[in-house]
Amino acid sequence: MDTLDIAALVGHRFPGGVRTIDHWENFLLTDCTGRDQLADDLVHPIALFHVPLQGSGTSIAELFELGGATGAGSVGLEGYDWEYFRSLREGVPYDTQGGIVSAEPLTTETGRRYDRVVFSIELTEPGGELAARVTNTWRFYREGP
Amino acid sequence: MTTPGDSIPPWTMAVVDPQRMKTMAAILRDPYQVHWDREATTAMGLEGKVINQGPLNLSYIANMLMAWQGEESVRRLTVSFGRPVLDGDHVTAHGTVTSVDMVGDERHASCDVWLERDGETVVTGTAVVVVGP
Repeated sequence: MDTLDIAALVGHRFPGGVRTIDHWENFLLTDCTGRDQLADDLVHPIALFHVPLQGSGTSIAELFELGGATGAGSVGLEGYDWEYFRSLREGVPYDTQGGIVSAEPLTTETGRRYDRVVFSIELTEPGGELAARVTNTWRFYREGP
Repeated sequence: MTTPGDSIPPWTMAVVDPQRMKTMAAILRDPYQVHWDREATTAMGLEGKVINQGPLNLSYIANMLMAWQGEESVRRLTVSFGRPVLDGDHVTAHGTVTSVDMVGDERHASCDVWLERDGETVVTGTAVVVVGP
């Protein structure tokens, strides 16, 4: 993957789209977290991982391909910054837009080379109110640990 | 009243369950085999244990915050991930209040939050939570 021009990813926009969170999906998601179901169609906060990705028309698989993932152990999470401006609810069609905002080659403290890719996606309610924004940072490792 | 220095009641996931990781992988449409393929993680030196998804690690912190201040209280989660959480692990979410401020008509508590496994911090970060008057 040495030929991958990671910096060229900056500015890449996802297609965008509208994403509605279904009850079954939220039920299973909440169950996976080990807590009771939420009231009033409220969506569990960790829906902000997959809903923005899927709603914006991209996927984990596409991001792996863009970042040049090479198999087990080649991708790592660095961090998330998730902002909730409105409570997310089942059945609401959120307009979902975003893209890659940063991409740069770096080296860990132990000398392992990796590319750091940051993407940001916003969810907007039908009335135009910004509901949430995620900024996620992933690492694509270029050599073993 | 919530004040700086307050501890947030911890939230524990007694046993991280690989079956939940499989369900999560399906919901996320996550092709990364480290979450469901023991052969892949054996090759990584993890003795066949699969790796919990990052969002699930964060969910334990979110669950702690919702249990503390209500299901609609979370305004921001900012976290970094350390060493992976594996199936069978016992993890506990912790937090402390660092400041309380009025933002519009809401009282926001800024908090340090973290997830521990056997005394090791595996997720660390901050949260902003709406707190009562």
